[in-house]
Amino acid sequence: MRKQLRFTGVGGQGVLLAGEILARAYVRAGKYGVQVGTYTSQVRGGPTKVDIILDDEPILYPYAVDGEIDFMLSVADKSYQLFKDGVKEGGIIVYEPNLVYPTEDDKAKWKMFPIEVITIAKEKVGNVITQSVVALAIATRMNNIDKDLVYQTMIETVPSKAVDINKKAFELGYEAAEEVLAKYS
Amino acid sequence: MARELVSTGNQLAALAAIDAGCRFFGGYPITPSSEIAHEMSKLLPKVGGVFIQMEDEIAGISVALGASMSGVKAMTNTSGPGISLKSEQIGLAFMAEIPLVITNVMRGGPSTGLPTRPAQGDILQAMAPTHGDFQSITLCAGSLEECYTETVRAFNLAERFMTPVFVLLDETLGHMVGKAVLPDKEEVEKNIINRRVYEGDPLTYEPYNVGKDEPAILNPFFKGYRYHITGLHHGPTGFPTEDAKMCQELIDRLFNKILAHKDEIESYEEFMLDDADILIIAYGSVSLAAKEAIKQLRKEGVKVGLFRPITLWPSPEEKINEICNKFDKILVTEMNKGQYFKEIQRASGKKASEFETLFKANGRPISPAEIKAKIKEMVK
Repeated sequence: MRKQLRFTGVGGQGVLLAGEILARAYVRAGKYGVQVGTYTSQVRGGPTKVDIILDDEPILYPYAVDGEIDFMLSVADKSYQLFKDGVKEGGIIVYEPNLVYPTEDDKAKWKMFPIEVITIAKEKVGNVITQSVVALAIATRMNNIDKDLVYQTMIETVPSKAVDINKKAFELGYEAAEEVLAKYS
Repeated sequence: MARELVSTGNQLAALAAIDAGCRFFGGYPITPSSEIAHEMSKLLPKVGGVFIQMEDEIAGISVALGASMSGVKAMTNTSGPGISLKSEQIGLAFMAEIPLVITNVMRGGPSTGLPTRPAQGDILQAMAPTHGDFQSITLCAGSLEECYTETVRAFNLAERFMTPVFVLLDETLGHMVGKAVLPDKEEVEKNIINRRVYEGDPLTYEPYNVGKDEPAILNPFFKGYRYHITGLHHGPTGFPTEDAKMCQELIDRLFNKILAHKDEIESYEEFMLDDADILIIAYGSVSLAAKEAIKQLRKEGVKVGLFRPITLWPSPEEKINEICNKFDKILVTEMNKGQYFKEIQRASGKKASEFETLFKANGRPISPAEIKAKIKEMVK
């Protein structure tokens, strides 16, 4: 089964790592994963998207197909508005409620889950840079991807001195996803 | 044992350079190619090599040429704007016959263009990157694996033919992360080509006194073999000449040393062509979209196949001619305004109106959906 995921934000938020870890996790499991980012030449502030395709079969074209995306996570309104229509009807959108403002129509079209991704990273984990791994854990839970597989791959991929803080980020992100699923489903 | 890696195309190109024996990198960073330099700066010291980030692109290629003249396999790396800057020294490399690998991770142009977005706008630049007459060798990766294998091949061809060799990637391939299955390192090392060395009496050494379709034999500097290196037309010892016959023979040889050995350079892929009714011609990352479109179209009963040149220059012209004349319906698709299309049309002997084209030059990738839509128009 092909899964198409998209993380969106603005330049400098560092969501590339989450996609790379998911792709690595799938390859580790003998499957296929591809990640490709699109960004602007603005150093900070330009809309960015990271597409991740996960599949049992080899993946040729690396970009997600607009209108077929299963899951999107967005931490900036500019990119949310720009990229939301790529998500298929009934698809899942996780958004940072302090920074992203979906309309009522959006809530009817997609399964919308507010999670304070940045607040969790900044205040609960203690370093905003871990938002990538918080997002990774959320995507893992929301897409029913093997938690242990992604967790182990994350530990191997992040810099060794940042393993502990990212373990915490992963656990908190995963919990937050469980919570919103229980509350809104 | 094949190696399985999860990596970007840029990282794979750097790894390939190391495996192919590159021990010197001189360059200047530029999006979307910088990760090749980053990776080389990590890998080269571990194998006793040297990495230098210079003050600009021109200095970057200059030191790489110096290293190569000293017998070390060398590389410089950039994107289109950097090739424009390096242009003069690229000419010196062609003229003096200095082997060098130049990777160009293509982005939107002209000028500074679209730094972070993919393009294939440097195809004609790679054919003719500088003034004068010479024959370019240009390889174009069409997958993550080929970011590795074509870079390895570029080093071997540079040494074999004593010439700069271009490897074209694009932003998509350079930055995408995915699984790549690479050939075994021992296998790569077994097939490495090193430049010829003259071992006779230093007094009779004439580096440019070679057969009319053979490359110069340039011994490394500082080993007791004296010769002159210049961008001027030159004779057997490398000293300048304006002798009409020698000048003509020199330029003829810059072509013949490559064109007489095209069988060692030519490379292409035929994908699902055997039973196809419609031909797509694409290369680089666009071929990934084409293959995806072909798979989907075949499920709908439309028989489409792909021809993908890997060596762009010298072009596989006989093969292009043969294939184009087997098909009535041909789509050429490129992320530019039709730069390689001109070569396809020339090699095929057909009129431009006998082709359908899908060209895009706005920094956005060509999608499988766009290719499918075009093919569906063609079968109507």
